[in-house]
Formats: sequence, C-alpha cells, structure tokens
Amino acid sequence: MASDATLNSFSLEGKGALVLGAEHPVGRAAAVTLAEAGAKLILASREPGTDAQLKETAKAVQAAGIKPILRVQNAAIRADLSATADFAAKQLGRLDIVVNALDTPWYGPAESADDSAFEKVIDNNFKTVWMACQEAARVMLRQGGGTIVNLTSVLAQRGVPHASLYCAAKAAVLNLTRALAMEWARQGIRVNALETGWLDEPASPANADEEFRKTLLKYLPSNRLIAPEDLSGALLYLVSSASGFVTGESIVVDDALMCRV
Amino acid sequence: MILDALKLDDRVAIITGAGRGLGRAMAVRFAEAGADIVAAARTLSQLEETAAIVLKTGRKCLIVPTDVTNSQAVNDLAAAAINEFGKIDILVNNAGGGDDSRGKPITEITDAEWRRGLDTNLTSQFYAARAVIPQMVKQSRGKIINLASGYGLRGGKHNYMYACSKGGVIQLTRSLALTYALNNIQTNCIVPGIFPHNEEMMRFFKGGKFVPLGRTGEDAELGPLAIFLASDAADHINGELVAIDGGGLAGGILPTGAIPNLPA
Repeated sequence: MASDATLNSFSLEGKGALVLGAEHPVGRAAAVTLAEAGAKLILASREPGTDAQLKETAKAVQAAGIKPILRVQNAAIRADLSATADFAAKQLGRLDIVVNALDTPWYGPAESADDSAFEKVIDNNFKTVWMACQEAARVMLRQGGGTIVNLTSVLAQRGVPHASLYCAAKAAVLNLTRALAMEWARQGIRVNALETGWLDEPASPANADEEFRKTLLKYLPSNRLIAPEDLSGALLYLVSSASGFVTGESIVVDDALMCRV
Repeated sequence: MILDALKLDDRVAIITGAGRGLGRAMAVRFAEAGADIVAAARTLSQLEETAAIVLKTGRKCLIVPTDVTNSQAVNDLAAAAINEFGKIDILVNNAGGGDDSRGKPITEITDAEWRRGLDTNLTSQFYAARAVIPQMVKQSRGKIINLASGYGLRGGKHNYMYACSKGGVIQLTRSLALTYALNNIQTNCIVPGIFPHNEEMMRFFKGGKFVPLGRTGEDAELGPLAIFLASDAADHINGELVAIDGGGLAGGILPTGAIPNLPA
C-alpha cells in the first residue's frame, strides 16, 4: 500500500556507510538499522581485540541481508581512523554516511579522579569522535558531501553526580556536532547527533547496581530503559535523505525524561 | 524491520489547517504512507481540494470544516473522526496563524490582537489535544504532533504574541508527553525553520541566504519528519522538539557566512 517518494526517502539503497564502534550494543543496533534500510556497510571497532564481538554484529547485519566488511581498529589512534576512512571510501565507492557510536562510560568521584582518568574519558568519548569527524569530512569534502551522526547522551545537557568527566565529554560531542554542522553546511556535509536516555546495555550503570536500577525505573516517565534498538528510527531519519534540511540538530530518544528535568 | 515501522497503514490521522500549505502537504504524505485522513480547516472549498488529492492515493478523507479556536467545534471534530473511523491514532496540530500585531511596539498591541493570536496558535492546540486524549487513552496508543517554530525558543524584536504562543506550544508538548507516557501516547514538536509559501516571502528571506544550509525549506521536506514522528519508528521519542531549519538553531552566534579571522 505504502510505496511513495516520502517513505522511499528513508531508503539507504546504494549508499555506503561506516559504523564506528560496531562491536558494542549501540553500534550493533545502528549497523542493523542501516543494513535493513539497504546500505552497504563497513563495520569498524572502537578498540582492537574485539574480533569476536564484531563478528557477532556482522551476523546480525547479515540476517538483514547485507554482507558487511569488518575492520578491527583503534578509534583512539589517528592513523587507524584515517586508514579506515580511506579504506571505506575505496571499498564503498562513496562514503555517504558515518555513524560514530564511540562511547566509554566512566563513573567516579571528581575529587579523587586523577589525570589519567581525564585523559581516558575525554580521549575515548570526545577525541575519538572529533578525529572520526575530521577523517570522515576529509573524504566527504573530496566527494562533495555526506552525513555524519554522533551518538551522545542526555547527560550532555544535565549534571549527574559521579559522572563529571563523562557528562563533560558528552556535552563536548553535542556542541562539536553543532559547530561542525555550521562549518560544513555549505559544503554538503550534514552533522547531527542522537542523545539517548538511560540505556539498557551491559556497560550501563543502570545495570551495575540493582538498587540504583530500581530507583531509576521508578523515576523514568515510562518506567523503562532505552534499548539500543529504540534509536533505530531517529538514526535512520538523520542519516537518510529524509532529513535533507536538518543539520546541527540532536534528536533525544528518552521516553520523555528530558521533559521533567 | 525499520522501513516497515515507518508505514502508517490504516492509521487515522486528524490534521488541522489541512486546507492548504503544510497541512495539505502533510495530509497527502500521510495518505501516501497508508493513513486515512480527517482534514480540518475553516474553508470548505479548500478542504474539498485537499480531499480530492488524498482520495487519489486510495485512502479515505473525511472533511470537517472547523474553527480551531472554538472548543465545541474542536470537540465535534474529534467526535466526527471517531464516528467515521472508530479511532484516532494521530493528531497533527498544524493550524495556526501569523501575528496581526507583529512589528508593532508593545504599547500599540490591542487586547484583541493578543488574545486572537494566542487562541489561534496555542489554545487551538490545547483544545485539540484535550478532545483526542480520552480516545487515545482508551486505545493505549496515540501520537500528537504539534507545530511550533524557532520563535518558540528564541526572542524576536517586536514579536511578542508569536514567540509566546509557540513557546507555549513547546511547553504543552512536554507536559502532555510526561503525563501520558505510561498510556503509550507520544507528543512531539516539529520546529520548522523558513518555509516560504509565496514569492513575497521568498524575497523577504532572500532565498534562504541566511540559513546555514543556504536555502529555505520545501513543504515536501516536512513530510518525512511528520511521518517518522507519527510512526512506530518514533515510539521512544516523547516530548522532543525536532528542528527542521537548515541548521538555524545550531548557530546564530555569528551572522551566517561570517567566519572569525583570528590567528591560528
């Protein structure tokens, strides 16, 4: 019944996409979404030594009918990101879409965090995204455009105790997104963000402590956590031509949490 | 499968202001995505034109001439939708108006201008939400999409009523979202940037020269966003504003195109 141009604008048929951080649950769900919409895929890891997890993602993607190319790399190393961007452009013909699912949670009291914590949290959550955007843009500017989506969190907008550096890094990603959107607007690169509410995944603090989880669930407007798959629609909207007039925007997927804060 | 989640097959969508412009564009897009349409607006002849286009998609279109500033008329609209289709899946609060008082110094704005503006832009959305919520609660399912504006977030010189009414729309959205989160009713806002509807507006906005993307929006571009927010693909987006403005709200600290010339 439904087969019109508007729905077709969400299709990624013929598009080339790179997902960074594809070995983790959010990157995995993103990869499956892009595959379901028909994109050709390169799946790259955040960290080395993640071959097994990346293969898990590949299996999920293949179930959606796309055979991805895997690339184990370290998103904290410039040379790796640069080589991955070039590799993706070459393999895909065109690098239309880059999804940065680069996230390393950190929690701890601020007064006792040492300098290595600062470097670790800011490097893994912010510097990786910054470098990935630069390397993506280097390819996209050459080919005349593309679209980048940076995954971040509602912690970008509000404070959480014992998450100071993490909140700061997430805010950095959010406003980096806006600044790069302004910078590349006339060169055909759209840059947008996705902010997630409290995620239901193994690395989430919501799953670290039963007591905290109970308190949190009671507080959340829908009494539920956000599953990585819940991000699919917003991600597809932002990476596809359906959102051609949208840049520097962030879509919050949080079941109304930000309405009460 | 994500592309299937975007379809609106057999949903019933009330769209206000459906007689022209964005409202008509959304009615047609929704019908193409599989929805039956309840088209509301003041002018019957315009609704008939919208219906003629909707019917070509193979979907149904009920037309209900409605003054959205009249609460009884808005209640009747919801009742007509339920009577015809037995349910209301989607409400698009699109009807709204410009500002008779815009550009006037605050001392010259009349009580009537202020009230008429708020009635048209804000109270109308409250009336429509109030009219459909009982049915959506009964269904344990519903989507409300409110049209706001960048002026709901930023101020404008000599621009009081419009900024206040659209700011109110955003707060109405958030409170509905929170209140009915557990009833599986999602309420969100579309924040359109510059979508000119005639040559004069196009000239006024200089073809979108001041928009970061370098152009104005086209009505057809609202379709995918409205469909996405009305669909299952947006089930966990609630109380959110989505700007479709060519980057307008992400910048604005400098005039578009200006780049600080500082030593590196």
